[in-house]
Amino acid sequence: MRYLLLIPIAVVFAFPFYWMVVTSLNEPNQLYQFPPVLWPHWAWSNYIEAWNEVPWPRFYLNTIVVAGATTLLVLATSALAGYAFAAMSFAGKSLIFGFVVAIYMVPNEVTLVPNYITLTHLQWLDSYQAQIVPFGASVFGIFLFRQFFMTLPRDLWDAAQLDGCTHLRYLWTVALPLARPVIVTVALFHFVLGWNAFLWPLIVTSTDRYRPLQVALAGFNITDNHQPMLLAAGALMTTLPILVLFLFAQRQLVGGIAATGIRG
Amino acid sequence: MGVREAFAVGAATSGYVRRLEGRALEGYLFMAPALILLLAFVVLPAIWVLVLSLYRWDLISSDATPIGLANYQRMANDSLWWKSLWQTCYFVAVTVTVGTLLALGLALLLNSRIRGRSLFRAAVFAPYVTPAVATIVIWEWIFNHDYGLLNSVLAVFHLPKVAWLTDSSAIMPSVILYSLWATVGFNVVIFLAGLANIPPDLEEAARVDGANSWQVFRRVTWPLLSPTTYFVLLISSIGSFKVFNVVYVLTEGDAGVTGGPDRAAMTIGVYLYKQAFEFFRAGYASAISVALFAIILAVTLLQMRIASRRVFYR
Repeated sequence: MRYLLLIPIAVVFAFPFYWMVVTSLNEPNQLYQFPPVLWPHWAWSNYIEAWNEVPWPRFYLNTIVVAGATTLLVLATSALAGYAFAAMSFAGKSLIFGFVVAIYMVPNEVTLVPNYITLTHLQWLDSYQAQIVPFGASVFGIFLFRQFFMTLPRDLWDAAQLDGCTHLRYLWTVALPLARPVIVTVALFHFVLGWNAFLWPLIVTSTDRYRPLQVALAGFNITDNHQPMLLAAGALMTTLPILVLFLFAQRQLVGGIAATGIRG
Repeated sequence: MGVREAFAVGAATSGYVRRLEGRALEGYLFMAPALILLLAFVVLPAIWVLVLSLYRWDLISSDATPIGLANYQRMANDSLWWKSLWQTCYFVAVTVTVGTLLALGLALLLNSRIRGRSLFRAAVFAPYVTPAVATIVIWEWIFNHDYGLLNSVLAVFHLPKVAWLTDSSAIMPSVILYSLWATVGFNVVIFLAGLANIPPDLEEAARVDGANSWQVFRRVTWPLLSPTTYFVLLISSIGSFKVFNVVYVLTEGDAGVTGGPDRAAMTIGVYLYKQAFEFFRAGYASAISVALFAIILAVTLLQMRIASRRVFYR
């Protein structure tokens, strides 16, 4: 009974992805037909044509650099801050933590104009750092690391301290290796976020040298509006890495996202 | 207390204090990288945008002119701003209510030991993680008037073709349709997490007492799920107020006019972008940012108020 509902729903949700594949593998004479042709005709040449139209390798490199560096930066800043909030004592700790959580309320859109002005002054427009540094700290990351580090037994730290271990060394050699699930969740979440980023890179990049895949694809959409098979090929090329990542790490990704919701 | 002891206590406390201070300093150092970035790119800009909204500035010339509240007066008389605001509210109302109900239904269907559960969940969730621009580009083709998939589905039922992207009364429904497809998976995952937190014995006890499925849902599941429902409503309305990508990608292009035919899909996010980065009106765009922030804050506070009366926490 449930399947009678679930199977059509799943098909509806998955169909646009199938359609991406079909469209990318058909010739124009199959595409400009009504009703549409529902299966691919294996026109692989579309991919070669789409690939040669714009410098895709450059865009891939840009996206990987930006998403990768942002992820590493977020991991570093979040692990340090999360550890401080969980395991260190200093004046105003809970006040500062409340403040950090409140920051979650500020939508990115509100800070677009001021941040653009800041980057202009730093002369960072059209660069990698313009796409990385503003997203280098994550309230979500700090929160997850803090929650995890709070579960570590106090004795572990006391014992390490007796052996002359510093906080930084303890964090690096004991706490972080134990925090692997959190690292994976935060890393996946921010890598996907970086890969999919659109509005901010659209504003701060102006040349192919630093433009990421998503902005390039949107530009491709405007210039190549009349060749759906090339667009679909481009769309699939930018989607495939994330789709593969998602299928392999579904549990962690979904779990991480659910974690944000459990205690809203 | 002798002098010696007093000295000892003094030395001990000062040593203790010094050690505490050293520790405190270390704590601040650990937080510093994250806090400095958050201050520089979130907190200070959120304050600065208030100041900027009182100026006229083109983002390029060296001086900005203070003009008081003129940007807000301009907003009050700007019919396209009011249109964007109204259309955004319409978009939020539909996507949040339909999206929440749809997600709840799907989560209830998926919340059982059925075969291929993770496959179904993956199908529903995939649109949320895949890059928006890529999926919007494909939907643009699905929405195509002459050769689109959607119109051929309509043709199967002998319904007339719809100009999904070029008719001013169809563009917003198209934007909503895409957004539901793209975001409902996130809500499903949150609802599934919420459902997993409900102890099964409560529902079982109700069933033993002779409650039917609807009664179990209405009297047990629904109240216990209310914190999750509240979270979904909050997160999806905040997200919906900021809608940008789908409108921008669907309507920028050879249609030429961002916001769609007759600007019928213009939203606050897109209008803000246009004012700031196409017309270079930094002051006016900042005023719009302030308004967007105020709206989101108001919605959050309103929902918190309602939640304090309606949400049932165990």
